[in-house]
Amino acid sequence: MGDATQNDSKVVVRGLGKVFERKGDGLVVLDQVDLTIAAGEFVCLLGPSGCGKSTLLNIIGGFEKPTVGSVTIDGAPVVGPDPRRVFVFQEYGVFPWASVWDNIAIGLRHLPRAERDARIHRYVELIGLEGFEKTYSSELSGGMRQRVAVARALAVSPDVILMDEPLGALDSLTRFQMRTEILRLWQKERMTILFVTHDVDESVQLADRVVVMSPRPGRIAAVVPIDMPHPRELGSPAYAALKTKLYELLSVTHAV
Amino acid sequence: MKYSLWPFITVAVATVIIYGSRRFREVAQRLILPLAALAIFVSAWQFGCDLKKYELRSPDGTIRLLEVFPTPWQTVVELGRMVTDGTLLRYTVASMYRVAIGFGLAVLIGIPVGLTMGWGARTFRALNPLVQGLRPISPIAWIPIAILWFGVEDASAIFLIFLASLFPIVTGSFTAVHTIPSVYVRSARNFGLRRFELLRYVIFPASLPQIITALRLALGIAWMVIVAAEMIAVQSGLGYVITDARNGNNYARVCGAMVCLGALGVFLDYAIRQLQRLDEVRWGFSKV
Ligand SMILES: Nc1ncnc2c1ncn2[C@@H]1O[C@H](COP(=O)(O)OP(=O)(O)OP(=O)(O)O)[C@@H](O)[C@H]1O
Ligand SMILES: [Mg+2]
Repeated sequence: MGDATQNDSKVVVRGLGKVFERKGDGLVVLDQVDLTIAAGEFVCLLGPSGCGKSTLLNIIGGFEKPTVGSVTIDGAPVVGPDPRRVFVFQEYGVFPWASVWDNIAIGLRHLPRAERDARIHRYVELIGLEGFEKTYSSELSGGMRQRVAVARALAVSPDVILMDEPLGALDSLTRFQMRTEILRLWQKERMTILFVTHDVDESVQLADRVVVMSPRPGRIAAVVPIDMPHPRELGSPAYAALKTKLYELLSVTHAV
Repeated sequence: MKYSLWPFITVAVATVIIYGSRRFREVAQRLILPLAALAIFVSAWQFGCDLKKYELRSPDGTIRLLEVFPTPWQTVVELGRMVTDGTLLRYTVASMYRVAIGFGLAVLIGIPVGLTMGWGARTFRALNPLVQGLRPISPIAWIPIAILWFGVEDASAIFLIFLASLFPIVTGSFTAVHTIPSVYVRSARNFGLRRFELLRYVIFPASLPQIITALRLALGIAWMVIVAAEMIAVQSGLGYVITDARNGNNYARVCGAMVCLGALGVFLDYAIRQLQRLDEVRWGFSKV
């Protein structure tokens, strides 16, 4: 897919910087970040722990304000959270006091009843949780809960999904299934996805482009396009070469 | 004879049972262990009564030893009398009624106030010093004011119960809101929930387990305060039984009323604990 062209660019980050105030001085977390994501593109944000990935995602999601620079989506500046771009939090964003059904219903509460029920049915089916509609999410496994978080986000038909290490808490088998699941949903719905991870393999399997960040202060160290059709052959030499390249980029940025 | 024998035998038997209970089944343990502990307590009570006796010399020259404190058996007999003459039922209803009204009012006012303080930073800044300043004043200190205001009437006692329950409920409610993990609020905001919807779908359900814990605490305090309130501010209820019986030198009745207070307190706590079993809050209690 390569770099985004001017007219189909969805998310545009320009000259972004973030400084957290501390006693005495400030902690520079993001510095001069420029990033353009095309509509329908799947971008993975890869970087060492503490480099500011979550901070960047939170600013794009409208949960935090940048110190300098701007974020625009569809040309309009981001001023706060918005149902058109949904954040999938690492683990606990699903409401434990509500059932699977009610969790998915939360973003659909203004729809007419028939349409809302139809949608919820569709997304429950999509994540394979039929029969669990009335189950309280506190009684689900971690993987099931994460699928609810994804379904809840998809149900509102957002055009951007921001995922902050959504699979980080899962065991490797569930992780793997969820990756396939997310890819399937993305190919079906073609929303724009910005996906934070520190798992190199995950980024190569999922992304159109992998954006590598340097350690704090977080800058964009490299952008690696992954030009392979889905489903990707995880054992292929090209796949292995890309993984090696990303590992090298990560260790180089570490060393600097 | 000065000392009764049965407390010693009972303690010995109860001790053997407690030591041997390791081999009992769980159900049996749940039943037998508390009973054994109760038996030891009652034995200690009897022993305490035997320690302090006085001599009563009858005109015919015989000497009898009498207890100063009411014994367990005298208390049971007096309780039976209270049941048959109707005082127990009448005064239990009176006390329960006052607690129900006072506590109910505190719930109706305290939860909304607490939630508002928890969510609104400015409301919190305005009200918190006041709440924290009023909270440490024992409800008993309000008794003179209550009587001045409401007279020796139900309303005085209800007012005191209301005060006793209000501050724990308010504090518990705003603390509950303050400790909601920010990820829930962010999710809610992300899906466009604001104001009333945010309160209804997130703030309230997320705080509910902690609010229920606060209610339980407040009800316990209310039940303790009712005795003090009724001893001074009204002329009925279990607290009044205690003052009245003391004035009549009927200490067995004092103890009988105390036993009732304990039993009813256990019942009230059991009743309010049932709230923890609601589907909407089970997630907040790891083990009910
Ligand atoms: N609210 C905050 N106030 C002060 N400092 C913060 C705040 N949030 C994050 N930071 C700091 O900013 C830096 C980057 O944090 P961030 O959470 O964005 O890292 P990350 O790349 O997501 O790391 P990880 O992979 O471990 O999740 C960290 O050093 C952190 O201590
Ligand atoms: Mg992070």
